[in-house]
Amino acid sequence: MSIVESLELAVKNIVSSKVRTVLTMLGIIIGVAAVIVIVGLGNGLEGYVTDSFSDMGTNTLTVTVMSRGSTRSLDVEDMYDIVEENSEYLDLCSPSVAMSGYVKIGSDTVDSTSSLGVSEDYFEIAGVSVAQGRGLQYSDMATRAKVCVIGAYLNQAYFGGNAVGQTLRVGGQSLEIVGVLAQQDEELEEGGSDDCLYLPYTTAERITGEASTYTITMKDENYIDESVAALESSLYAVFASDDYYTVTSMSEMLETMTSMINILVGVLAGIAAISLVVGGIGIMNIMLVSVTERTREIGIRKSLGAKERYIMQQFVIEAAATSALGGIIGILLGDGLSVIASTVIARVMEETLTVSPTLAAVALAFGISVGIGILFGYLPAKKAARLNPIDALHYD
Amino acid sequence: MNALIEFQQVCKYYYMGDTTVTAADHICFQIYRGEFVAIVGSSGSGKSTCMNIIGCLDVPSEGIYLLNGKDVGQMNKNQLAEIRNELLGFIFQQYNLLPKLNLVENVEVPLMYAGVPKGERRERARAALEQVGLGDKWRHKPMELSGGQQQRVSIARALVGNPSVILADEPTGALDSRTGREVLAMLQDIHRRGNTVVLITHDNSIAVQAQRIIRLEDGHVVYDGPSDAPEAVVVTPRAAGGGGRPA
Ligand SMILES: Nc1ncnc2c1ncn2[C@@H]1O[C@H](COP(=O)(O)OP(=O)(O)OP(=O)(O)O)[C@@H](O)[C@H]1O
Ligand SMILES: [Mg+2]
Repeated sequence: MSIVESLELAVKNIVSSKVRTVLTMLGIIIGVAAVIVIVGLGNGLEGYVTDSFSDMGTNTLTVTVMSRGSTRSLDVEDMYDIVEENSEYLDLCSPSVAMSGYVKIGSDTVDSTSSLGVSEDYFEIAGVSVAQGRGLQYSDMATRAKVCVIGAYLNQAYFGGNAVGQTLRVGGQSLEIVGVLAQQDEELEEGGSDDCLYLPYTTAERITGEASTYTITMKDENYIDESVAALESSLYAVFASDDYYTVTSMSEMLETMTSMINILVGVLAGIAAISLVVGGIGIMNIMLVSVTERTREIGIRKSLGAKERYIMQQFVIEAAATSALGGIIGILLGDGLSVIASTVIARVMEETLTVSPTLAAVALAFGISVGIGILFGYLPAKKAARLNPIDALHYD
Repeated sequence: MNALIEFQQVCKYYYMGDTTVTAADHICFQIYRGEFVAIVGSSGSGKSTCMNIIGCLDVPSEGIYLLNGKDVGQMNKNQLAEIRNELLGFIFQQYNLLPKLNLVENVEVPLMYAGVPKGERRERARAALEQVGLGDKWRHKPMELSGGQQQRVSIARALVGNPSVILADEPTGALDSRTGREVLAMLQDIHRRGNTVVLITHDNSIAVQAQRIIRLEDGHVVYDGPSDAPEAVVVTPRAAGGGGRPA
C-alpha cells in the first residue's frame, strides 16, 4: 500500500465527515492565520518605519544636549565649531528648535503643523527642495529674520497655492512666508510630511529658548562609528562628562526600532503558535476518538492482511492531511485578514501600512501544521496499529 | 501429501485473574488441500479459539500449528499479516464489510495490502463480484444491500486473493434459513472448484453440508470423521468423570 493510496483513503475519510474535520482543524486554522497576520503586520510595520527613516536620511546623526545641571554649556556656535573640527567625518549641521504652539493663519488656527527652527542647511540635510520663492539663508540666521518656509500642504490648504509674500503667526510672532517646499507625500494631508513650517533657528530661539537638538550629516555613511566617536569626544571635551549629551545615528535608531519590532512580532507569533499546539492536541484528541470508533475497521483490515505499519501510515497520513488542510485554510484566511487589516489601517490611521505576509511565513506555517499533524497523529496511530486483531474484530 | 493445516497438541489458555481457562486442550487434526471441513460444537466448546489460530489471528499457547508446513507459532506480527493476506480468506458472521467503501473497493482491500497494482486490482475485484452475482452493484455501499448480499460480497472478498483456505465463521448465523442455504450452496460450489473450506458452526444441520466434521467439546476433539457417519451428529456425552483434563 503506497503513500498515495493512504492519502486517497485519508481524503475520503476527511470528506465523509466534514463538520468534524472542520472542528478538528479549527485550532490549526486559527493558529496559522494568526501567525501569518502577525508576521505580515510586523513586516508592514518594519517597512513603514524603514520608509519613514529613509525619508530622514540614514546618513544623519542627532545630537541632544541636556546642559541643565552642568556648569558648562554649549550653544549653536560651539556646535558649528565642533562640526568644523571634525570635518573629516562631519558635513552639514542644523539646530532643530521644536516650536510648541499653534500656527495662526489669518483667523484660522492650525494645530497639526510641525514647526521647526532650523539653519540654512537644513533643507539639504533633509533632502527637500524649495518649489516656490526661496529657502532660508545665512543672512536670515544672522538677522533673526521674521521669515519662514512652509510645506506644500499649508500652501494649498490655506493660501490657494500663493503663499509666498503672505504672513502667518507662530507663537505670537508674525512671519513672512518666503518659500514653499516641494511636495513630499503622494497626497497632501493634514499632519503629513507636507504639513510643516521652518523658520530661522535664531528667530525660533527667541520665541522658545536655546537650541538643544542638532541634526548633523556625515561625509560618509560607511564611517558611522568613527563619526559618532569623533563627535562624542569633542562633546566630552566640552562637558568633561558624558551625562549631558547623546549622539544617535539614524541607522542605529532604525536598527533599534527594527529589532524591537522583531522582538514584538516574535512574542506575538509565539503566542499565536501556542494555538497551533492546542490545535495539534485537538487533532490528537479527535484521532484517538477516531481510532476507538474505527476499532472494528482496523480489526477487519488486519484480518485481511494489513501490517501494523500500513495501519500506522493510514492514521498518520490522515492526521497530517487534516492539519495540512487546516494549514491551507489558515493561510488563505490569514491572507484575507491581511488584506482587510491593510485596508482598515489605511482608513482609520490614515497611514499606508501594508500587512504583507512573507512567503517564508506561509511556507513555515504550512510546514508546521503538517509537522503537528504527524507529531500528534503518531500516538493515536500507534494505538491503532497495536490493536489486537481479535479484540478489534469483536469490538462494537 | 503434506497437510495444509496441521494441529499438533495445540493448547490455548486464557488467564483471567488467577483462574486459567483452557479453551483448546491438546487438539490434533490435519486438514488437506481440497477438503470441506466443518468444525462444530456447542457454545464455549472452543470453536472460535480454533478459528482464530487457524486464521493466524492468534497463536497457540502450547503445541504446534503448521500452515502449509510452516510453523505459525514462530512468526512475528508482520509475517502473520502476510500469511493472512496470502493464504487465508475470511468470511465472518457479521460480514465485516467496510461501510464507507463501495462493494468493489471492499473486495479490493486484500489485494491492496498484497500490493497488486490498481488497474489489476479493480479488474479482479469486479470479476470476484461477478462470481457471486453482484457484478452490477459494484458502486453500491454495503448498507444498501440485504444481509445475504452482503455475505456474498464478503465471500467475493475472501476469494479475490486466491487463498489456500477459506475460513467461514458462522457464515449463516445472521441470515434467514433460505439465504443461509444460498450461502452454503455457494461455499459448496467454492469447494467443488477445488478450494479448501473450513466452516465453523454450532449448527449440526449446517455442519452436515461439509464433507468432514470435527466436533469440539470443552476444548477437546470428540469426533473427527466424515459428515455422513451416524456418530457425526450425535452429541457425545461428556468425557466420563469430567476429570480427564490435566490439572
Ligand atoms: N479472550 C478470552 N478470555 C478469556 N476466556 C476466553 C476468551 N476467549 C474465549 N474464552 C473462553 O474459552 C472458551 C472457548 O471459547 P470460544 O470462544 O472458543 O468458544 P466457541 O466455541 O467459539 O463458543 P461460541 O459458539 O459461543 O462462539 C470459553 O470458555 C470462553 O469463555
Ligand atoms: Mg465463537
